[in-house]
This record gives sequence, structure tokens and C-alpha cells, in this order.
Amino acid sequence: MAPKSKEKPKAPTPQPPPAIEDLFASLHRNIDKSDYEKAVKDADQVLSIAPNDEDAIRCKVVALIKDDKIDDALSVIQSSRNLPIDLGFQKAYCLYRQNKLEEASACLRGRERDPETLLLEAQILYRQGNAAACADVYQKLQKSGIETAEVNLVASLVSAGKSSQVQKALEAW
Amino acid sequence: FPPAFQSIPRNPIVLDLAYNCITFPDIENRMKKTRKGLISRFWG
Repeated sequence: MAPKSKEKPKAPTPQPPPAIEDLFASLHRNIDKSDYEKAVKDADQVLSIAPNDEDAIRCKVVALIKDDKIDDALSVIQSSRNLPIDLGFQKAYCLYRQNKLEEASACLRGRERDPETLLLEAQILYRQGNAAACADVYQKLQKSGIETAEVNLVASLVSAGKSSQVQKALEAW
Repeated sequence: FPPAFQSIPRNPIVLDLAYNCITFPDIENRMKKTRKGLISRFWG
């Protein structure tokens, strides 16, 4: 009688510190669930194994911002400043949230003027009371198809005392 | 008296759209591949 085929032995399950892949899987799950506190812990675990891991640092910064821990996010950005990781936009956003508008604006200077940079620049200008310049930036963003950006365009036109241009601007949007 | 109600302009709404640009990096490639082979596909 032919020997019954043996069940395949289960692969040995090593129990040393969690593999980085598993930590990233957990991080991914927690980001999906918007559980940012746990996401930060996962990122920290990765960083305890690989202190300069760019993905982990980026995830940590973003998770802290999403968790409204702007100070903490800034200090992570600060301590990563010697690494070749560009966190300039995140830094500018944190400074904006802290109402350090001059610093935020300085941080955006020299960056590629992509839609995200322009959006933040416009918000800084608005808070600085420069509604007219802010409206100009939103006009530039017209073609980028950013959802609800026209809300801010209207706000800046009204604040700039250009309410009469609102209708035309919206028709052109 | 009392004076009639008057409408006053309200402050226009400004949305924090830059917040939406703060996004997580794609970390799919940092995770274990889920499809290892035929068997794990059956057992998975």
C-alpha cells in the first residue's frame, strides 16, 4: 500500500523581534483604520531596528499630523534634518498650523510650485491678511482640478473686497 | 425700539486644503508579499 502522503510540515515560525515587513503590515492596517496612535508606535518599532528608514519617518510625521500632534511632528522633522529626506512641505504645514506664518512661508520658498505648495502658500497669505495675493494663487490653481478650492477662492475674493468678481470667477472655474 | 434686525456679512469660509496633501507614503512594497505560491494561495 502506497504510503499516505504526509501532511506538509508547517513552516517553522521564528519568534525573534517582529520582522520589518510585519511591522509595515501592521502600520498599513492602522493607517487604514485611521488609528494614528498605533501607527506611530509601529513606525517607532521600525525605527528602533532601522533608525533612518525613510518610509517609517514619513509615516510617523504624517500620523502625528493627522493625530493633531503638530509639536511632536515638528520635532521628528527637526531630528531628521540631517537625513536626505525632504520633509519641507510637512514642516511648512506644521509651522502654518502653529501660526508661525513667516517661517512657514520661508520654508516653502525655493520649492517646486506644485499644487500642494501653492495651496499652502495661499492659506498662509490668507492668514497674513493678504487676500488679494491669496486669490491670485487660487486663480493659478484653477486648472489643477482641486476639489472645493473654489470655496477658498471665493473667500479670498470677498476678503480682498472683490466680491463683484466672485460670480465671474466661479463661472470660469 | 428695539432696533430692527440687520444682516451682517459673515466671515467667508476657508478650508484647510493643504491638510489633504499631507499623505502617507506607499508602503505596500515594504510588506510581505501575500501571494507566495499555489499552496499558500489555497491555504491563504
